[in-house]
Amino acid sequence: MSIIEAHGLTKVFRRPVKREGLGGSVAHLFTRRYSDHVAVDGIDLTVEEGEAVAYVGPNGAGKSTTIKLLTGILVPTAGEIHVGGVVPHRERNANARQIGVLFGQRTQLWWDLPVRDSLGLLRDLYDISDADYRARLTQFDDILELGELMPIVARKLSLGQRMRADLAAALLHRPRVVYLDEPTIGLDISVKDRVRAFLRELCADGTTLMLTTHDLGDIEDVCQRIVIIDKGRKIFDGTIAEVKDGFARQRQLHVDFASPVDPASLAALLPEAEIEAGIDVPAQGPHRDFTLRFDRFRLTAGEVMTALLSVGEVADFRLDEPAIEDVVRRVYAGDLRLAAEASR
Amino acid sequence: MRRTIRLYRRQLGAHLRAALQYEADFWILIGAAALMQVVGVVFLGAIFAKIPELNGWTFWEVVVVYAMVSIAEGVGSLFFEGTWRLARKINQGEVDYLLVRPYPVTLQVMSSEIGLNGIGNIVVGSILLGLGVARSDIHWSAGNVALGIVLLVSALVIKVAISLGTNAGSFWIPGPYSVVGYGIHQVGELARYPITIYAIGVRLAISVLVPFAFVSFFPVAVLLGRGGSARLGLLTPAVAVYCVLAARWAFNRGLRRYEGAGN
Amino acid sequence: MRKYLTLARMQARSVLAYRLNFVLSLFALMFQLFAMLAIWGVMLGSGRNLNGFDWGHMRAYLLVGFVCGALVSQGADFRMAGRIQDGMVAVDLTKPVDYQRARFAEVVGGAWTELATALLVCAGVLLLSGPVPWPGAPGLALFALSLVAVLPLKFLIVYMSGLVCFYTQNYLGVHWARLIIVSLFAGALVPLSFFPHWLQYLAAVLPFASMSATPALIFVGQLHGGKALALIAVQFVWVVALWLLARLIWRHAITRVTIHGG
Repeated sequence: MSIIEAHGLTKVFRRPVKREGLGGSVAHLFTRRYSDHVAVDGIDLTVEEGEAVAYVGPNGAGKSTTIKLLTGILVPTAGEIHVGGVVPHRERNANARQIGVLFGQRTQLWWDLPVRDSLGLLRDLYDISDADYRARLTQFDDILELGELMPIVARKLSLGQRMRADLAAALLHRPRVVYLDEPTIGLDISVKDRVRAFLRELCADGTTLMLTTHDLGDIEDVCQRIVIIDKGRKIFDGTIAEVKDGFARQRQLHVDFASPVDPASLAALLPEAEIEAGIDVPAQGPHRDFTLRFDRFRLTAGEVMTALLSVGEVADFRLDEPAIEDVVRRVYAGDLRLAAEASR
Repeated sequence: MRRTIRLYRRQLGAHLRAALQYEADFWILIGAAALMQVVGVVFLGAIFAKIPELNGWTFWEVVVVYAMVSIAEGVGSLFFEGTWRLARKINQGEVDYLLVRPYPVTLQVMSSEIGLNGIGNIVVGSILLGLGVARSDIHWSAGNVALGIVLLVSALVIKVAISLGTNAGSFWIPGPYSVVGYGIHQVGELARYPITIYAIGVRLAISVLVPFAFVSFFPVAVLLGRGGSARLGLLTPAVAVYCVLAARWAFNRGLRRYEGAGN
Repeated sequence: MRKYLTLARMQARSVLAYRLNFVLSLFALMFQLFAMLAIWGVMLGSGRNLNGFDWGHMRAYLLVGFVCGALVSQGADFRMAGRIQDGMVAVDLTKPVDYQRARFAEVVGGAWTELATALLVCAGVLLLSGPVPWPGAPGLALFALSLVAVLPLKFLIVYMSGLVCFYTQNYLGVHWARLIIVSLFAGALVPLSFFPHWLQYLAAVLPFASMSATPALIFVGQLHGGKALALIAVQFVWVVALWLLARLIWRHAITRVTIHGG
């Protein structure tokens, strides 16, 4: 059985509708009108142990709500969830012992206590043995440089420091499943790199990771699988490679010629490529620098280079790889939904 | 069960250590709380200087009632202060983390802070209780001593349960702090004095609706043998059980609401 | 001047935001009032007269004390404390507004709601317990004058206890200390004449009696004519003296502004 199994997961929020003006407020006292907001709409999700899944979508797509449903913080309106064989919102204690959670925007450290004391309390709450505890702290000290944070009171930590400490707090008890909601928000690049390296190691050790994030570096560096949701529905579920192959097929090659070249001659050689000259589109007349966009399954980079070399003397060139960024940007712009539906 | 208590003590202990860092604040809080109780009794003294008794209650007997509230408040502050921060926790989304830890959410909330002022309340309250009891007409048989202990414990339980139950109102009425909790707490001030001075409506409100009178008046009435009130006072342990159940129910309903509606 | 009016108006509007705070402090005052009314009701019920107070006069006395207590009760000191503790006060200090006058303007803005609500509660009490004796026209005039002094005086006490926050970390203890001292010497719940002589002498040299006892005594007629005018003068002298003292303290306090960084 997979470690996370969710079928038809649905969450509907019922909000009272507040009406305008004094008349509305009075009416509100007597009759309540509600509007239903479907945050999560029949999501199926299966995650195997040891997977690192990126859970991506625009703001308001239902990412945080899904995480809260999976962790048992929210009770689903419909559907089933099993995590490690346990129904999270029913067997809270059993679920708690096998999961670790990090909400990037909030801390789970005790605000007025030094980090050392917060971790000590968590050690007791999770019944971690002294030996395990010390081993864990040593490990954290290596990777997150936790040692320097231990005596500092939580409210005095900087954002990056707090994130490192919260990470330690979430992982202290060696949970089987870890949920991270925006774990690298506001961090500088060196801390981000360290955190990502740590997460990769965790995965290698068999921990299952679910990561919701807007940070594309997190996705590419840590996860192998990506689930994209929008408006509460899943619109893509597959590996990073698959999503790039499916929706980020374009490569870009920028080329500078030694002397101006007629774009028409390029177009003749590479009919399947999109050619842009310099910074003006469309090109009129000879130009020195071009940007070519081509579907990497239709044209190889080699074929393009051969064509370019036959047209003129190439002074410089650069090849851009397809990025998750493009996919995500298109999802956020609403394009991908249509693409996904079109390909069904 | 032992684990539950041990972890509760550990959490309180951690907060105590942190609070002790600020020595000046420590003494100011305790001193101020202690002084507040004293001032209340000074007022009583000034009033009683002119008239020796209030509805048949002497000065020292009223002091005993007053002291019970002081002690109950002190215990609530010292050991369960976190209850009063529930509203803020809900407001800032900190309850989510509590739900994913293997420990009861109620206890996590209650132990999340320590109110050192409680020491002041308890110390002065105990002194006042001692003085008042010594100067009152209580016959201390072994039975009465046992009864007194049962009543004291029940009274403390009622106070803590009322705090928990009313603060749970924050699940329905959000805000930076609990309107319901603090508001009803103020009503409890009425129970500092023998409730026979109030109109029947008020008496019912603080005996039946929110049983503050069972924290102070009724238990003391039992020991003083004050007729009808003494008989009602024997119900105090039952009222304590009822309050605990009611508070737990309210908190759990609130938690379920939180899990249903999100934040 | 206009900027202070704006501050006052803003505070009046944000009363809604602080209504929670206000309602809670009002509740506290109300139930203290009810308890005292009940006690005094029993003590003075059967037509007794203590220290010149009969039941009607004592009710009036307590109600005036309640109204005075309701003024400046929306937690202006906690607001100050909060801003000092989280460093936001640095922003306030850069504004081209006099800090003390700005805080006073805010308090004035909120005073209307406090007054209105307190009077509402009084009306309720009067409905339930019957009317209270009114002073004659000259008494009322003196009373009104005395009441005018209460607002700035109470503000200054609250403001100065807020200033202590520049010197300490935790405001709660200071707040309670102020409540204790004020409740003891303002004579709102128990008239000062009931206290031992040494306490009364102490109260006479402190400003707190001017905050509550003076207007209350004028209302119930225990202070009239020349004596009343004298004590009203004392009120205004305190207002001036404390205003200047507060400015001195403030000038020293801001040298201690520490901002927490991150």
